[in-house]
Amino acid sequence: MVVLALTSVGCDSSSGEAGTQAVTVQFAAKVGTDDFVCGDTYDNLGANDNSLQLSDFRLYVQGVELKNADGDYVAVALTSDANPWQTGDVTLLDFEDGCNDSGTPEMNAVVTGTVPAGTYNGILFRMGVPFELNHENPATAQPPLNGTTMQWNWQGGYKFLRLDSGTFSMTDWRFHLGSTGCDGDPVAGGTTVCDNPNRTDVELASFDPAADTVVADFAALVDGVKLDVNQPETQFGCMAVPTDGDCAQLFDNLGLPFDGSEAGTQQFFSVE
Amino acid sequence: MKRILYILIFLLVGAGCGDSAAGSAPEQWVWDLPDTVPEPRIPEDNPMTAAKVDLGRFLFFDRKLSANETQSCGDCHRQELAFTDGLALAEGSTGDILVRGSMSIANAGYAASLTWANEAVVLLEKQALVPMFGEDPVELGMANMEDELLRRMRDDADYPAMFAEAYPEQTDPISLDSITKAIAAFQRQVTSFGSRVDQWQQGDATALNESAQRGMALFFGGTNEAGVEDAFECFHCHGGFLFSQSSDDAGQVFNQKFFMNNGLYNLDENGSYPAGNEGIYEMTGDPADKGRFKPPSLRNIEVTAPYMHDGSIETLEEVLDHYARGGRLIESGPNAGDGKDNPNKNTLLNGFAMTEQEKQDMLAFLRALTDEDLLTNPAYSNPFPE
Repeated sequence: MVVLALTSVGCDSSSGEAGTQAVTVQFAAKVGTDDFVCGDTYDNLGANDNSLQLSDFRLYVQGVELKNADGDYVAVALTSDANPWQTGDVTLLDFEDGCNDSGTPEMNAVVTGTVPAGTYNGILFRMGVPFELNHENPATAQPPLNGTTMQWNWQGGYKFLRLDSGTFSMTDWRFHLGSTGCDGDPVAGGTTVCDNPNRTDVELASFDPAADTVVADFAALVDGVKLDVNQPETQFGCMAVPTDGDCAQLFDNLGLPFDGSEAGTQQFFSVE
Repeated sequence: MKRILYILIFLLVGAGCGDSAAGSAPEQWVWDLPDTVPEPRIPEDNPMTAAKVDLGRFLFFDRKLSANETQSCGDCHRQELAFTDGLALAEGSTGDILVRGSMSIANAGYAASLTWANEAVVLLEKQALVPMFGEDPVELGMANMEDELLRRMRDDADYPAMFAEAYPEQTDPISLDSITKAIAAFQRQVTSFGSRVDQWQQGDATALNESAQRGMALFFGGTNEAGVEDAFECFHCHGGFLFSQSSDDAGQVFNQKFFMNNGLYNLDENGSYPAGNEGIYEMTGDPADKGRFKPPSLRNIEVTAPYMHDGSIETLEEVLDHYARGGRLIESGPNAGDGKDNPNKNTLLNGFAMTEQEKQDMLAFLRALTDEDLLTNPAYSNPFPE
């Protein structure tokens, strides 16, 4: 406790540096017009108006940039010291409160950092973990990349997005998204390339960081998705496996190509 | 916070340094390998030491590594079965049935890629995370329990000293990283090159009887009784010192990962395998990858039945029949189809004529690939009382 108090004094100085200002980008998880609450059941979802009890809602964002008065995007330098939610230029947004065994009580809905002093309107970011960090050894990774439930070890990376329903039985609908088709090289000792990076680029051209919130809307993500239909012998929902046709509409709604399809326009994120 | 703690620890450690073992140089690991076999590739950040291997052996066989403490790595990788489990499909600690069988860990340090069909996982340190933390299916079931795992290690009577000895340069050596590194180090030294075939190759003319020698000749491209040169074609996929072309070692400069389709199934015109178990296709999405799996090492193959990724062939005799036919015919049921006609099948698998004597010779050779020392070596054994 003493150590914490002392450290805070020393580390929180960035906002005072000349020419920069602190910025907090607020995110929110919603299901249509309702706030996401871990464990709550939501109705009228997807193409067949299904109900789902949602029990996990986490995602990584990277490369957050804000648009300045000149119309240029500038990078937000993340505040990572003593912040377990951020490392490098990655932030874990965690909207679950541990209502499911896979989660934790701690939550995070913000990206914090600094930008050059000025006014901003507009935001760019990418959902995902950068390639270099995505394929490092998760056993030695810094928070928030060291928790085991966002690791996706069989694919050699992380889940960029984790949405679960129910109680994690094999018949509960889930959507886990990360890079797929990754190729490891035993000589180089690591991952060299992934056929499907599956990182969603998002631009919200009108966004005031002082007043607005970036909303990740589950209902918009599953718009048109048949949540009660499962391709035989695949996992319920979508594990981003290129052979699972249940993924196609979800990918389209994220603006990602799937199995050779053209990328659609992302509709998961919006400004409120 | 971290920096201040480190300084404190440094001060404390510094004060006591004079009488610690910190000055002694780490001992050089010496590989006990025949001169026909290269040394395995060792990651720079995980050098081999006796203390680390010893720790890894305990961790490998310790059921504390599963959430409900009912299963260890060694429960699916049993020494007497060349570190397999005798099951067609592996079973996790909570009863989940996996879609594939447990592979042998013998010589896993030489595998160009790990598990049956995964292009991404090439390091034992990272592979260990899959059974520990995988959620679908659950194997050891430790997802979200990493802190509990470390607590179990810290609370143990013996582990704190073992970790300290294995990682003498670390002030807080009990970590997930040190666990996966120790398990990987243990696995790398579970080598198996003591079969009768090895003895024969090293010059012991008595190690193989005539039948096994004839089988070996057929295996390595000999002409069969029907007069066809290289009729059996085995070594193209199962060649090299591993008896698998998916092979890596310290001297390799090229990536030798290797996956192929051996005609087990052919459910439709695309060469489909049973859904949910179609090899690297599930990772790449390329239909040409349907049914492509890693050819496993044939070392100790006699004791690792049942065979194939899904345990769908029970005996070595049937395996030979499968290859002699050039693919498996399943006449009815959900998996009906003739694997012989699978469009993705490796072009070398065209079938061959095999006399009963040739079959017996092949079996004699395959059985001579068993390394009795691997199955009984105390250094690889379960250190916990059963």
